[in-house]
Amino acid sequence: MTTRSRIAAIVAALITVPTAAPALAQTQAAAAGRIKIAAGEVFVVRGGAMLPAKAGEEVLESDTLQTGADGRLGITLRDDTRISLGPDSEVRLDTFLYTPSEERLGLVLNFVRGSAVYVSGKIAQLAPDSIRLETPAAVVDARGSMVAIQVVP
Amino acid sequence: MTAPRPPALLVTLVVAAFLSACAPKTVRTDPDPQVQVVLLPDTDTGEVGKAVVSNQAGRTELSNAYSSTRVSMGAKPRARKMKTTDVEELFGEAIATLPPPPLHFTLFFRFDSEELTEESRKNVQDVLRSVKAQPVPDVIVIGHTDTTGATASNFELGMRRATAVRALLIKAGLSAAAIDARSHGEMELLVQTANGVFEPKNRRVEITVR
Repeated sequence: MTTRSRIAAIVAALITVPTAAPALAQTQAAAAGRIKIAAGEVFVVRGGAMLPAKAGEEVLESDTLQTGADGRLGITLRDDTRISLGPDSEVRLDTFLYTPSEERLGLVLNFVRGSAVYVSGKIAQLAPDSIRLETPAAVVDARGSMVAIQVVP
Repeated sequence: MTAPRPPALLVTLVVAAFLSACAPKTVRTDPDPQVQVVLLPDTDTGEVGKAVVSNQAGRTELSNAYSSTRVSMGAKPRARKMKTTDVEELFGEAIATLPPPPLHFTLFFRFDSEELTEESRKNVQDVLRSVKAQPVPDVIVIGHTDTTGATASNFELGMRRATAVRALLIKAGLSAAAIDARSHGEMELLVQTANGVFEPKNRRVEITVR
């Protein structure tokens, strides 16, 4: 690419981005994973809305998973990471990046309350430093492992 | 006539009892969030990884099965061993709700063909079994080739291989919507070779079942 064509490309990108961004944000919210097991009251909080969740439904980056007093939820992410929640629990999927060919990898989970289990997947193998399990009192850096976390807020 | 007034002492006692009953709910003695972290052996492989728990006050490393730490804000995390009965009580339901582990398979093909090798034909059952083990299966099938032949025709051959495996899965009862079949042609070799090299290990389909 010549300098001139590169500049032209950048200018084109700058012009098109503002109008294209909202549509892109909707269509490109690629699924981070899928709900495999759901029992009792379970919800996905997405964009402020609390949606009753069922097995088979997709989970997106920045979704919050919630269970009620009789709820349980098990999900598998696209990189083979697995997360499960016991009753009265809440976990937020803050970051999920899994494009190994572009080395875009990252996983940040926020354990808000209740009990949950994390089993590491491909991101932990390929980019262990990009994984953070956050809680209100400490950060857990889990390497190739199965970890259970309980949060009493 | 005026109504009899309750004795002042009784009123005081009732009010005091009411207030003290409310007290534990309204006044929190420990407002800090409490967090417990425990390292578990993988339910499927038994492997034990490693976890480092840290906050502003310090850090602790968990590296043995059931090693755990209880943390509150500002207090240094310390490792101790959690009893398996406590693990069961705190996390039993969450552990029981973990989806089955995702599995990966590689099936090999005859030269320039979408026909499985004798050996790989036997492994199809393992794939089907792992699909049945998943409550909501997602299957990703990626076809690959060796470097003999043109890049474009290898892309097509990879797609024919992926499609053949897809057809096998559908025949076994899996819904077509659960299968994502793709080709990477000769772009992702299992055994690195120069162009135009016969390599049986590169003529394959890689399957993820999750």
